[in-house]
Amino acid sequence: MPSGESDAQSQSGASSVRYEETTKLYPGASEPAVDHLSLEVPAGEICVLVGPSGCGKTTAMRMVNRTVEITSGDVLVGERSVREREPAQLRREIGYVIQQIGLFPHRTISENIGAVPQLLGWKKERIRQRSSELLALIGLDPELGDRYPAQLSGGQQQRVGVARALAADPLVMLMDEPFGAIDPINRERLQNEFLRLQAEIQKTVLFVTHDIDEAIKMGDRIAVMREGGRVEQYATPAELLMAPANEFVEDFVGSDRALKRLALMRVSDINLWEAPLAHVGQATAEVRTKLAAPNVEIPYPLLVDSERRPLGWLSERDLDGETVPSRADSPLGPVLDRDDVMRDALADLLQGESQYAPVVDHQGRIDGVLSVEIISEFLASPDAKSDEHPAVERPHG
Amino acid sequence: MASPFLIAAGEVGGDFFHERSSGTLPCQAKETQLFCWDWARENIDRYGTPTVQHLEIVVLSIVIGFTIAFALALLAHRRHRLQSPMLVATGVLYTVPSIAFFFLLLPVTGFGRDTAIIVLSAYTLQIIYRNTILGLANVPESTKDAARGLGFTDRQILWKVELPLAIPEIIAGLRVATASTIAIATLVVLISAGGLGTEMYGSNFNFPTAILIAVAIIGLMVLAFDLLLLTVQRLTTPWRKVRPQ
Repeated sequence: MPSGESDAQSQSGASSVRYEETTKLYPGASEPAVDHLSLEVPAGEICVLVGPSGCGKTTAMRMVNRTVEITSGDVLVGERSVREREPAQLRREIGYVIQQIGLFPHRTISENIGAVPQLLGWKKERIRQRSSELLALIGLDPELGDRYPAQLSGGQQQRVGVARALAADPLVMLMDEPFGAIDPINRERLQNEFLRLQAEIQKTVLFVTHDIDEAIKMGDRIAVMREGGRVEQYATPAELLMAPANEFVEDFVGSDRALKRLALMRVSDINLWEAPLAHVGQATAEVRTKLAAPNVEIPYPLLVDSERRPLGWLSERDLDGETVPSRADSPLGPVLDRDDVMRDALADLLQGESQYAPVVDHQGRIDGVLSVEIISEFLASPDAKSDEHPAVERPHG
Repeated sequence: MASPFLIAAGEVGGDFFHERSSGTLPCQAKETQLFCWDWARENIDRYGTPTVQHLEIVVLSIVIGFTIAFALALLAHRRHRLQSPMLVATGVLYTVPSIAFFFLLLPVTGFGRDTAIIVLSAYTLQIIYRNTILGLANVPESTKDAARGLGFTDRQILWKVELPLAIPEIIAGLRVATASTIAIATLVVLISAGGLGTEMYGSNFNFPTAILIAVAIIGLMVLAFDLLLLTVQRLTTPWRKVRPQ
């Protein structure tokens, strides 16, 4: 945050959200959409509200910023009742991301991101600065700031949607199926980016989805809901998978629970294979010796640059010469990140039709190799089924 | 026997069946010739005052018509119950034949520019009102939902989100309204309000040159206003010319 005005907004922070017997009865409806909901979301955590359509999860979420008025009970944001607040003022302190994105078509990307700061009366210069800061944070080219939403892809638009919600450093974020309309590959990418972002900004997030896999991946806590906004279980993803509270939750979570556990692990949580490395100009004889070592499971050496960033797989033919060539015969295929969720890494392997793929760290340097074999061994091991597997620790706490 | 029409006819007779330039140019005599260049050269300056009158009447009618229609549209946008009654009301005004409309108003507002402007602005209401409502209705629900959720007040949603997005439809309405107003304004000569009609419905109906010049000026006027409005639209809606990439 740029310093300057010392309003409460610039104090980076997050508030807890507490539902107290919150009830919503829509006019003309016989049953309440949300019936005496009580739930506490600790500050700085992602709480996913998940359930079949019509279970009241969106209604529950919308009562936090009063885009749905509360019939009875209360919602406290940071110990303050939302019912006492002026709705527009309240909403400016709460980030809001929706599935349809809803960017303003007539405003540039920078202006979209600066919408709430503008409402709050920030100075032009500060808004401009904040917009470019957020563009960088969501990994968009600063040049895109002058474009209009129609010129961006769906994935880029939703990144802007998230940036717009974050602009005034809200205490709480409401996200209503934010990635629901994005194609599967980009959805996975956006989910990962958001988790990375969240590790940095540590907002309190209420995240609505009907997709249990997304819930398990995104949530620090998950509230499984059914009609009437009844919470059937409120637990961490691991607890939910290991000990579903009742049949409804068990059905909703599904039978492939072992596989789902992969969604709770990062690539860095598992022991990787060591990659036989080859540098440009290195003697091929040396490389051949490496390949012959007993602990090497891969028949091909991985060509890396001087920073140990992978370039490609060397074939038998590449090793015919005296020294390692500067270009690998076989393409690299998928490259995984240490922080990738294991389930996504597996998907990438299968999609790339590869048995294994290099894993890199943040700087893109080689860390090891992940293979389908490693994953299937893990799934077959008692670890995967045991209740105390350490891998369920979430990397961002 | 003093029906409005008779009064008007008498008045009109005195006003616009005036003497055309009395000279006897060679081509004026030949009734078969479509356009008499000699006459045009000599008489072009007589179109100056009617053109200015025409412009004044059109601009005032559009400004007044737009102000009323826009206000009605905003009202109907806030109270949806009013939408249909207002559409019917402006629609009824639109269906009254223009000459009848002029003469119906004569006993109330008399001859001259005021009556002309009242009638012409009444005709613009329907199209401007309808297009404004349409433009506001076309704003995506998700855009409004996002605006509300981010903390825009209702007034801010209207002025900062809905109206800017409705500009193309509003201007489309203005373009149609302006073109038709320019055309109908040729009739206000019937109630002695001047304009280019004076030169079109002159005494000599079988002298096409005079009429063609007036028609050409009207054509240019329509074109100029259309270009002006189109330019305004381009400048106020820069986001519309971008192509998705």
